[in-house]
Amino acid sequence: MGRALQRTAIYVVLGLWLVAVVLPLGWVFVNSLRSSQEFVANPFGLPWLFTGGPEGHARAEAWQQAKANYAKAWVESHFSSFFVNSVIVTGCSLVGIILISAMAAYVLARFRFRGGRALFLYFISGMMIPAQLVLVPLFFQFTWLSRAGSRLLAPFGLELRLHDSLSGLILIYVALSLPFTILVLTGFFKTLPGELREAGIIDGCSEYGVFWRIMFPLARPGIVTAAIFNFIGLWNEYLFALVFVSSAAKKTLPLGLASVSMQSQYKTDFGLMFAALVIVIIPTLAVYMLLQRQLTSGITTGALKG
Amino acid sequence: MTERTSQRVFAGVFLAPAFFLFTGFVALPGARALLYSLQKWDGLGRAEWIGLENFARLFQQGDLFLKALGHNLFIMGAAGSSVIGLALLFAALLHRRIRGAQLFRVAFFFPNVIAAVAVALLWVLLYSTTHFGIVNAFLAQVQSGCHALGWTWPNWRLPVPFLDSRFLIYSVVPMIIWEVTGFYMVLFLAAMEGIPESYYEAAKLDGATGFQQFRHITLPLIREVLTVGLVFLMISTLKFFDAIWVMENQTPTRDSHVLATLLYQKVFTEYNVGYGSAVAVCLFVLVFLGTLVSLRLSRAERIEY
Repeated sequence: MGRALQRTAIYVVLGLWLVAVVLPLGWVFVNSLRSSQEFVANPFGLPWLFTGGPEGHARAEAWQQAKANYAKAWVESHFSSFFVNSVIVTGCSLVGIILISAMAAYVLARFRFRGGRALFLYFISGMMIPAQLVLVPLFFQFTWLSRAGSRLLAPFGLELRLHDSLSGLILIYVALSLPFTILVLTGFFKTLPGELREAGIIDGCSEYGVFWRIMFPLARPGIVTAAIFNFIGLWNEYLFALVFVSSAAKKTLPLGLASVSMQSQYKTDFGLMFAALVIVIIPTLAVYMLLQRQLTSGITTGALKG
Repeated sequence: MTERTSQRVFAGVFLAPAFFLFTGFVALPGARALLYSLQKWDGLGRAEWIGLENFARLFQQGDLFLKALGHNLFIMGAAGSSVIGLALLFAALLHRRIRGAQLFRVAFFFPNVIAAVAVALLWVLLYSTTHFGIVNAFLAQVQSGCHALGWTWPNWRLPVPFLDSRFLIYSVVPMIIWEVTGFYMVLFLAAMEGIPESYYEAAKLDGATGFQQFRHITLPLIREVLTVGLVFLMISTLKFFDAIWVMENQTPTRDSHVLATLLYQKVFTEYNVGYGSAVAVCLFVLVFLGTLVSLRLSRAERIEY
């Protein structure tokens, strides 16, 4: 009897938190289906789209209203372009981070040379630097870098634009993610057996060949863990996007969501706000469902990413 | 080329991109922030060296800095202790191999991967004072229910303006707990799963209750991960920015500023680069000290299996 009671108590505690976590998310989804008229008439019940609504209110009409919320967010409020920008910025940053970190980490892990340890500590010390510290100097650095770069590129008819550009943001994201990624991958490359390199060299591979054909593919589990945590961090990043991106056409999802939510013309369009939230949450949910096993098993690594 | 030189070239080629990117876009800007904090500069004209004057201003009575720091510390204490407590509780419960553990784990972790901006907006809508604001509606239900029972309490003045500047620092606490508890739960649970089952069996033979097992086996053996969690939580509350910025429409007030929002406002809306950089330097020192102290602690108390 005591055991059964204990068991029930455990499920009640966990169940309550489950409800607290899931309910707000379900609430957002349900509300994204309401029209502004329905927000007044039916704020808490199931949406008319499911129940059919009051008399004279056709389900087809509710469907149109729900679609209108999403259409407004996706097209009129430019969430489609925010989405594309986020994909570009996160994708390019991840490729850069993984390649550059893996190359450095491999050398740091597998080669003994003078200053190697010091160099490793130099990179790792970056994890103690909060991003806010480098934010302001980077802002001014980008101004003169753009000016100097444009002068250099002028003969070719090009200009270097780091402010308000996706490439500037990618550059920052790559640089700031290096310490964490190098730490994780150095640890991983150290676990790979050194005989593999010798075997590769004997078979006629160059050092470059050993890395690209043998070591890099073998490091996949470590790379996946590092990539997942970087992905979550970058896909959701707000502060640097806020400082470095200003034009609407270049905004990423978090930045776009924040700025749309702060514009007074949208403030009272609740259907739009809820639909926008769903649009932002759904891709994260999909990626999470796909990768949650790797994510939670690499959690101790993730805690390092301060 | 000899083999030795070609190996050196290889190492150089592979290290160079990371070295230059890190130096140019992290290390040097970090050092430059220290210089900025000793200057008076509006970001355009000539900078003027003023020594530690910016820092002296930070610690003046009545300055926004101490107020903002206080808000960070409040969030750290209030949200942090609840998060650690709840995370430990949930991890300990799931550690008992109950059915459906996987479902709870997956669901509890999820809010942590949603963008902080989206979480903030979600809570803006939950806290809404309009007719669909579900938190206020819930409070109204509770209140009328209690009154129906003949109680005179509670007497909340509804709707509660949760998003008012005066209350914002308190209102973000439940949001943070909702958002991050799952992360720490999974972190602690991973550590708990590394404890050999035989320890618990021995304790059971000695007649230890579930709580005693938790207190004398689980807790000491996950101490190191607990410390890592604490440090991580401290650092993330010191850097807290997104939610305040969004909930305050980019204009936090005396009552709602935290360190990062103060920094942003000083530099990018008031063009006071020196003062803003001094705030950033203090933030850095706090993060640095916190990390150092707790790493030292965790090493001193490392327990051997």
